[in-house]
Amino acid sequence: MTNASYLGLIPALILFLTAGNAPAQSLAPGESGNAVEPARFVSDVNHEGPKEADRLTLGMWVAAGNVTTYTIGNSWNDWVLWLVYDKLREPSPYVGNSQDWLATRVEQMSEDATVWEIELREGITWHDGTPFTAEDVAFTFEYYREGPANRWTHHASSVPRMVGIEVVDHMTVRLTSEKPMPNFDRITAADLPMIQKAQWEGVDEPRSFADLPIGTGPYRLVSYEADRFYRFEANEAYWKGAPVVQNLDLVMIKDPQTMFTALKTGEIDGAARPVPPELVLEWQDDPDLEMISSPTLWGAWLDINVAREPFDDRELRRALTLAVDTAPMLDRIMLGQGKPGTHAWPHVDSFWTKPDLSADYDPTTAMEILDAQGYVDADGDGMRERPDGSPMVWDLKIASNQPLFLRAAELVEDQLAEVGLEVAVESVDPGTLSALWRTREFDLRIADITPHGIADQDMLIILYRGDAGRELVVDEEKKAIVERWLDADTREARLAISYELQEYQTRYPNRVMLWYPESTFAYRWDKFDNYIPSAGYGIFHKYSFLPEAARDGVADPMIAPGQ
Amino acid sequence: MVWLRVFAAYAAVLALALTLNFALPRLAPGDPLGFLLPEDVLAEMSVEDQARVLAEFGLDKPIAAQFADYVTGIFSGDLGISLRYGAPVWEVVAGRLPWTLLLMGWALAFSALLGTALGVVAARRSGQMRDIGTTVLVLAIGSAPVFWVAMLLITLFSAQLGWLPSFGAVPLMAVPGSWGYVVGVAERLILPVTALTIAQTAGVWLTARSAMAVALSRDYITVARAKGVPERAVFWRHALRNAALPIYTNVTIGLGGLLGGALVVETVFSWPGIGQLIVQGVEARDYNLLQGVFLVATLSVVAANLLADLTYPFIDPRVRR
Repeated sequence: MTNASYLGLIPALILFLTAGNAPAQSLAPGESGNAVEPARFVSDVNHEGPKEADRLTLGMWVAAGNVTTYTIGNSWNDWVLWLVYDKLREPSPYVGNSQDWLATRVEQMSEDATVWEIELREGITWHDGTPFTAEDVAFTFEYYREGPANRWTHHASSVPRMVGIEVVDHMTVRLTSEKPMPNFDRITAADLPMIQKAQWEGVDEPRSFADLPIGTGPYRLVSYEADRFYRFEANEAYWKGAPVVQNLDLVMIKDPQTMFTALKTGEIDGAARPVPPELVLEWQDDPDLEMISSPTLWGAWLDINVAREPFDDRELRRALTLAVDTAPMLDRIMLGQGKPGTHAWPHVDSFWTKPDLSADYDPTTAMEILDAQGYVDADGDGMRERPDGSPMVWDLKIASNQPLFLRAAELVEDQLAEVGLEVAVESVDPGTLSALWRTREFDLRIADITPHGIADQDMLIILYRGDAGRELVVDEEKKAIVERWLDADTREARLAISYELQEYQTRYPNRVMLWYPESTFAYRWDKFDNYIPSAGYGIFHKYSFLPEAARDGVADPMIAPGQ
Repeated sequence: MVWLRVFAAYAAVLALALTLNFALPRLAPGDPLGFLLPEDVLAEMSVEDQARVLAEFGLDKPIAAQFADYVTGIFSGDLGISLRYGAPVWEVVAGRLPWTLLLMGWALAFSALLGTALGVVAARRSGQMRDIGTTVLVLAIGSAPVFWVAMLLITLFSAQLGWLPSFGAVPLMAVPGSWGYVVGVAERLILPVTALTIAQTAGVWLTARSAMAVALSRDYITVARAKGVPERAVFWRHALRNAALPIYTNVTIGLGGLLGGALVVETVFSWPGIGQLIVQGVEARDYNLLQGVFLVATLSVVAANLLADLTYPFIDPRVRR
């Protein structure tokens, strides 16, 4: 070895010697270094309750139809779907390290990341006892590409769009997409539920299809009445091992107070909706209940209608985001339970979020921008007018079933008034609000955003591809970034371009994130005390009901009581 | 001839109500898309794709064609498929109606009896301080929003005392028809019936009190007393019989109001009645379901009024003439 060679070893030696002083930071390609916060045990005392149960009754609040991908469409109740269905990889697209589940191999086959191959696990059967094969996987992709749209169909029809779906052999499928899909294994494979070809072939109107679903998951649905109850039985033949809870009864309780009263009185054993902030404080020392705060990756944001003048003015939007102070919102509305909003997209804890992304509260700069753009108080009433002198009063709409949002809207109204912007808060029923959003007949709106919307990195782009979404892309600079992202063929390249988009959106937002809630879930520990947190799902999900050995890689770390 | 006029009037009311039942759900902003698909999916869909989803439920047809389908459906017994439940509307409504009838039946009976009894007794002391105090109290209780009363009942009897269940109509695991099932239903009935009864009683009480006070001030009461009829007989036989008609009218007309109250109470108590169907239907903009539920509500109210018209003669002999 030459002297030069020895000199080359010096950096390696330094790295070796310092390795014990600082944690090694080895990031997988496409990861930003951000991480989901560990879950936290909230109750004062951690009791030792049963790890198995014959029957559990859980309260749910959003009906799930007949538990198919066409009757469940959002993150409020998708955990019910996952009781029945499995994915190629699990637990979710919200974590970077999902693992093989129905598949044993999900491999990129072409350098441009347009061709992937999936090899399936042998011996898996559907609930009706028939084997799960490559035909089912190919059918799933075909059905979602060609059939009616649902929350999951974009994985085959849009981003990515599959142009080739080929059964290689009994247990292998090859997929080819129009554009690169370097994160196929992380996102599509970890999000798309596999459906049975035999059940769905010939179903032309899946939204009216009322049969009990047949999946490969740990539970089979045995009976239901859509807004009353769902009864599940354990799938004893589940390939990861028989579930530790034999029977799951989900009862529909729409009213939050009724649901939490039912939990307190023991009528239900767990409440599958986050406990309101004030109740978290009250229940902290409750001897019958335990609470776990688990990352659900939700957000509450102020939605700006960029399709309507003057919000097409990106400088105005920048002023708006600088004028909103999110810290007091978290304190006053969420009682400090969560994180204040920093930027709209993606979730602050997502593994692909650009570190230190933030739009700081700066009313002085906001006022300077507004002045520079011509939005000044021409008539001396304390509120700004448009550059042409006409009055400027924006409506801020909220859903009538969201009391927290009403409080947030009032705060936003006050904060914007401080920089001379006038807002009128209006509460409307959720259906109306949804319609107004779709027809773009609003100025501002406060709404929830689910992990599918802010923690799935493909969604950041997908939302710009439809008719409604295209309206969000109001300038060429942003359009160009989106197009480059679509053509990027490595995880690293996509992350780098995604950073550009994130920065752009933080500077010129179409949404202002108000807070990221800390979602705390409560259960009766004497009935079942074996819940585990999983990012994006909370603690009520199928992994909590699987045997210990099956939980590796799908649970989040949890901070123990007192730590 | 009189009956012909009555039935013609009812037919006209029914026709108007059925038209409104069709129009009202559609007058609300929006359509079922917002329920069928989450925002992120809608955002990525083209307008054509969104129209295709609506076409799955026949909502792409012209409004006149939809109305024709609706009217034909009423007479052929086919109210269409509920997009919220994926099942025929008749089937969904028929499954829920008994629960609402059970709830409303008891509430109607209790509020009628309680309101009448308390109102009649109050009329006796009309104008006295005790009467004024009772009036204020009853009005205060009757003015309380029914959802608030329902929540108070849950907090007190379920959360604090633990005496009664807080939600649902049946114990999930009980075998239908078994003793445990019957007891479970009875237990779950108490709080919602109490909430509805509280909401309805004030109206009956006010009517009963004022009708009785008017009756007691009539000349025939003075005559009866002058004739030496015992006070008890004057009160119950002469005054109450004459005051009964407005009370009866109030109770039967109150059916519509009770249905409105049931809508709220069923939501708070997760009671599986048609009130909940209305809430679900409105949320989902499920036009077929709303039309079906409104049809049942319309028929119920019209039937109650018709029943009142038909039975008036038995209560008030003057109507027979």
